[in-house]
Amino acid sequence: MLEFQRNKLLAVILRDPETLVVHGVLDDSIYSFDVDLEVRLADLVCRSVSGRWHRWTTPECPRALQFLEEIEGLDLRADDFEPQVHKTVGRHACRHFANLLIECGHAAREAALVVGWERARKERPALTLAAYTAEHDFRPPGLTPEPASKVLRDAGVRAGSEDVGNLSPAPPSAGAPAAAGITVAAPGKESAPPAAASAPAAAVATPVAAAMRNTVSARPEGFLIDLHLHTSPVSPCASSPAAAMVARAAAIGLDAVCLTDHNHCWPSAAAAELAAAHGIIVLRGNEIVTDQGDMLVFGFYEDVQGVITLAALRRRVDAAGGIIIAAHPFRGFLTFGAGQLGLTPEKAAERGVFRLVDGIEVMNGKVTESENGLAAAVADRLGLVGVGGSDAHDDSAVGRYVTRFAAPVTSEEELIAAVRAGACKAVSFVAGP
Amino acid sequence: MANNIVKFSRNRQTFVEAAADDLLISTCRLQDVFTTAEVRLTVRLPGLEIEEAVGSWRHEYWLPVADIDARLAKLRGVRVGSGMLKIIRGLVGEEEHLAGLVYMVEECCHGVILSLTRKVLLSAPDDRAGRERFYADMVKKSIRLYDRCAAFAKGSPLVRELEAERGETGSA
Repeated sequence: MLEFQRNKLLAVILRDPETLVVHGVLDDSIYSFDVDLEVRLADLVCRSVSGRWHRWTTPECPRALQFLEEIEGLDLRADDFEPQVHKTVGRHACRHFANLLIECGHAAREAALVVGWERARKERPALTLAAYTAEHDFRPPGLTPEPASKVLRDAGVRAGSEDVGNLSPAPPSAGAPAAAGITVAAPGKESAPPAAASAPAAAVATPVAAAMRNTVSARPEGFLIDLHLHTSPVSPCASSPAAAMVARAAAIGLDAVCLTDHNHCWPSAAAAELAAAHGIIVLRGNEIVTDQGDMLVFGFYEDVQGVITLAALRRRVDAAGGIIIAAHPFRGFLTFGAGQLGLTPEKAAERGVFRLVDGIEVMNGKVTESENGLAAAVADRLGLVGVGGSDAHDDSAVGRYVTRFAAPVTSEEELIAAVRAGACKAVSFVAGP
Repeated sequence: MANNIVKFSRNRQTFVEAAADDLLISTCRLQDVFTTAEVRLTVRLPGLEIEEAVGSWRHEYWLPVADIDARLAKLRGVRVGSGMLKIIRGLVGEEEHLAGLVYMVEECCHGVILSLTRKVLLSAPDDRAGRERFYADMVKKSIRLYDRCAAFAKGSPLVRELEAERGETGSA
């Protein structure tokens, strides 16, 4: 039985020798709308755009139309065309309109090719399409419905390199450790005791964090760390710089933060500078994209590029002495969640991903309470440690959820040991006055 | 004066069928002046894992995708869900001539999500006040909707209650 259908129709005409007009229609089981773009042929710059709703969902959807003009002036051939459309129309208007406008942009590019080929054939009737495209270095339109593609390109992601992605050591930096010599228990087996793992702690502590050891003491409610933060510009999805995030954490009374930017490993010196500037411990982590979803990784300092399989990441992290936490494992969709799919804790716990991680993020500031609840139920069922983090992408969201440790954590090594020992708990953090 | 004959046209159809109570098949077909292509994903509920991914691809001037089956096979076990797009690109490939194929996979995944979204939206009341209540409750339950589009932007009537609860003033 048909559950859903979406049809998109694009047609491009040459209205005059210098102007393409693109008509796009999207009609599906939920939405219906169309757009018209006027595009200058010479440089494929969008000169005007208009759109019309025919069917929509919320009473406020019609507000989207006023934002369509934000793509006027964009170069449809530019590498950042799609991210720009998502960033403007996709966020301010409607992501479904953005989807169609991007298709319109690519249709305009293809139409320009046709027009160019037709004109060239007036002089050279035997000119083939293949020869023409080769002469003009036509590239396929990079149809990418979300800005993540540019994000990944900017981050150096390469695809197709061994299905585990490309791994290379992070640039050496003062105090940047390889965590060598740490004995790591395989997942599912008994963890090494904290005391044994803490031996090389000095090697992984940032200089300033080490210097602050004697200045930080646990508060009555424990030692609070926001274990999941993204900063701009290294996480392109984030809007606040690291300094603002760390400053906010200090201001609301957190004891430490862990920078977990997407596929980015902070140099220890930079973390140390932030710590020194704001009087708070700054630890380093990484949120790595795997075939099984996002993973928070601590004590692992290689610069992972591309998508890596979780199994491969497990091997690498074990070798480095680090730990893996499944980040927001049940983050759902905008309009429905795991519960509405009938996913029970029992069924969810059967996922292979949980056999390859050391813990689960059971409180994440970007997911719903029910999704966090499911993560907590699965962690309980599997006996995995649960941690909390805000997943903040701007400073206002720092500290919504944190991880409470029984004792101060002043280095990444101590963090790993404490998580392995289960000496921590995810908590909702209420900032003090 | 233009003759209004189309220089380029494209039809892209994505449809999702229920093959069983716990199995969806999502298909994306593309036909345009240069391209004939199809991608089909088999997705198991409730986990939304991709069980099978197959496709075909023919384009007039892009490089052929000779290893299309092997590339799509990498998607087995991947979950249709939040954050899937970067995973799809990373597994299928980010070379430029693969962009169209990757996009079709993504369209299939969006189809799955929208088929499930449709079921949620079917329960919205018919009257305007009821729908306002329905969507205002939705954004409160799923905070990621907040400020994600014009309908749920700061200052929208649909988020007024949410903003009041959060102590935010909101601005249009």
